[in-house]
Amino acid sequence: MISLEGKGITKTFPGVVALDKVDLNVKSGEIHCVVGENGAGKSTLVKVLMGLLEADEGTLFVDGDQIDLRKKHSFEIIGYVPQELSLFTNLTVSENLFIPFDKGRKVKTPIYSRRIWEDKTKKYIQELQINVKPNDPIHQISVVDRQLVQIARAISNPNLQVLILDEPTASLTKLEIKRIFSVIQSLKEQRKAIILITHKLDEVFEVGDTITVLRNGKKVGGGEVKDVTVEWVVQRMTGKEVSLHEIYRPRKAPGETVLEVTGLSGFNFEDISFNLRGGEIVGFAGLVGSGRTEIMQTIFGYLPAKSGKVRVNGKGLRLNDPSYSIMNGIIYLPEERKTHGILPELSVKDNISVTLLNKIATGGVVNNKKESIFTKRVIKEYNVILTSSDVKIINLSGGNQQKVLIGRTMVTEPRILLLDEPTRGVDVGTKDEIYKIMRQITEEKRIAIVLVSSELEELVKCANRVISIYKGRIFGELESSQITMERLLSLVIGIRKDDYK
Amino acid sequence: MTTGTGAKIIVYFRNLHRRGGQILSVFGALALLVIVSSFISPNFITAYNITIMSRDLGFVGIIAIAQGLLLLMGDIDISIGAIAGLASVSAAKLMVDFSVNPIMSLIISLAIGAGCGLVNGFLITMFRLNPLVLTIGTQTVYTGLNLFISKGKTITGFPAYFVNLGSGSFFKVPIPFIIMLVVFVIAMFVTKKTILGRKVYAVGNSRETSSMVGIKTQNVRMIVYSIAGSIAAAAGILMSFRMMAAQTMIGATWLLPSIAAPVIGGIALTGGTGHIGGALLGAAIMGVIGNIVILGGVNVYLQQVVNGAVVILAIIFDSLLRRSRYISL
Repeated sequence: MISLEGKGITKTFPGVVALDKVDLNVKSGEIHCVVGENGAGKSTLVKVLMGLLEADEGTLFVDGDQIDLRKKHSFEIIGYVPQELSLFTNLTVSENLFIPFDKGRKVKTPIYSRRIWEDKTKKYIQELQINVKPNDPIHQISVVDRQLVQIARAISNPNLQVLILDEPTASLTKLEIKRIFSVIQSLKEQRKAIILITHKLDEVFEVGDTITVLRNGKKVGGGEVKDVTVEWVVQRMTGKEVSLHEIYRPRKAPGETVLEVTGLSGFNFEDISFNLRGGEIVGFAGLVGSGRTEIMQTIFGYLPAKSGKVRVNGKGLRLNDPSYSIMNGIIYLPEERKTHGILPELSVKDNISVTLLNKIATGGVVNNKKESIFTKRVIKEYNVILTSSDVKIINLSGGNQQKVLIGRTMVTEPRILLLDEPTRGVDVGTKDEIYKIMRQITEEKRIAIVLVSSELEELVKCANRVISIYKGRIFGELESSQITMERLLSLVIGIRKDDYK
Repeated sequence: MTTGTGAKIIVYFRNLHRRGGQILSVFGALALLVIVSSFISPNFITAYNITIMSRDLGFVGIIAIAQGLLLLMGDIDISIGAIAGLASVSAAKLMVDFSVNPIMSLIISLAIGAGCGLVNGFLITMFRLNPLVLTIGTQTVYTGLNLFISKGKTITGFPAYFVNLGSGSFFKVPIPFIIMLVVFVIAMFVTKKTILGRKVYAVGNSRETSSMVGIKTQNVRMIVYSIAGSIAAAAGILMSFRMMAAQTMIGATWLLPSIAAPVIGGIALTGGTGHIGGALLGAAIMGVIGNIVILGGVNVYLQQVVNGAVVILAIIFDSLLRRSRYISL
């Protein structure tokens, strides 16, 4: 039995109050959810609790023992699974679990015994139902298994009482999330205290017992999950009313066919054929690794195609050349925003103008006035919140970064948008904005959108049609009247029922 | 009206600071260094000493700009000194031994420099090689070609007007220094004002993102490698004019300053951030320190220790600055 009680935790960074007198109360055998939009202070709170950051103010009571959070400390009893996967991808599962190999050994020798660690690893693999062998290198196992290995690493500490999970389901599909949750539930039954940081509210209501809501570094609500409603949590998180049941599907009938893909094969997928009409949103559902991302990147020309044809407005598209695709009105917005989307060290302005260089320059020389005009237009039209367009894009929140990327894409006046997980890591309020942008550009500018998403709810709300990808092939297609969560869920895992094509 | 102008001025300086904050602090460091040096030695601020320093700075500055362009792009060229040496020997061989028209010889040699850079860029992008490793290899190749062409011998006998380019002055300003300023102004214009420059920064930030937005990263990298090669060739040829002889050793010691100067000036080795003027200021800081170490009477055998220590201090300082700049929430 353990209880963890944080009181008056305050942390400021230059110019920002990241945490403002936050209280937190967690008991063993309980799943405590901390929710908030990006930048609300969730990760800072965790870092302070873990002793990775020194707080300006605040004390922590662990079973009545008082700990001063203003000093660095480290706890044996708290385990932490960070948001970004932090495993050694070239080492094996068992090496990752026990690095640096100095805990729980009877004889302390500097010699590494593979067999001992492998046997220990098997125990955890069984307990957490991980689909790996101890000797598998991390880069060969699936994302969900990596996440489970991270959890296994945390609980391999015999003194662990509190487990903090920071957005453990960020890049996982519904089914994979279920696996993570069943592990969390079983840890709860073992009387561990669990702190779950998330911004997916359905998760809170699925597994949470208690909740803390943060907004701009302040605790703006909390209590038992059974006493609150989704609407209340969203209202607390965003500070405004957001409709959760709005349907964002384009309300106008689609126009002419603008994109024809026939028999396209490439890395990780085969024989993909589909059409896309102007003004419609076509969803692509599928598990992570099913090939959806590769299909889009190949159409765009970023990845090489093995065979097949892509036609835009009836004209054949040269493959393997992103700059040619852009000229022909196709733009792909990547899932990996940090590495493939933004230019982190450059200003927001530079990040916008990089797609427009040919438009804002004469004779190879950039015209600063034109650049400013375009930049301002994007910032205004897409409601990017910032102090100046000269700030580095890396300092914006994920949602604002995404709006910059969508905006800079739109000023190039594309006809076809391939959006890969456009709302990943984006908070509820911004999601609503992005969906509305999608609806608006399809209705008004008749742009065709492919929406690749792991969030099935997103597809239900936004798509005119959904195509499901399973193991690199098209597995099924649903028309708007047929799209339901249940059907999508079974399609992505390769189960087809006969009441639709 | 007046408030409008005042506000404009304030905004101007704020932007200047925001965009060039780092370059200003490097400039401040240089100014401080000059003041301190003038107290250490009475011989520091003399016409003679300043002429010597600025002439040396001319060479190091040019080579630092060449390397700086590559560093901005997240690339590096270890063979940069070898290219300088090869170009200088080629120019001399053509001019003196083969009696080719001097201007023609210069153009051919600059083209050789560009060609060497292009080979580097082509191999790196074509086979996705690590620039550091590949250019360590080509460095040896280019040095070997240099020895093959010159047979290890020094070549003398340039026209007088060429010698003047290396060792002459224009209104008491050494000509290599003036040439460096010209190279700098062009490099500054290219990096800040042109499409190519924007692409250099973009590629330096993320090659993946750059190709996602339609930049042909291979082409950009090959172009900048050849530009850097031709600038290096110019520095090498200029050095041979100054020494009135093309020697195989020209450029052999340029690698360290070519990398250290941009880094001191705030261009990160990881690319995508910094200002090409930083390369120049970094070269000036290294030049002043090298000079005052001699004037201050530091043991000749310790001078290298001091120079190395400066580089190390600069990167520690840079790392500390960078750390406080980002806050992770």
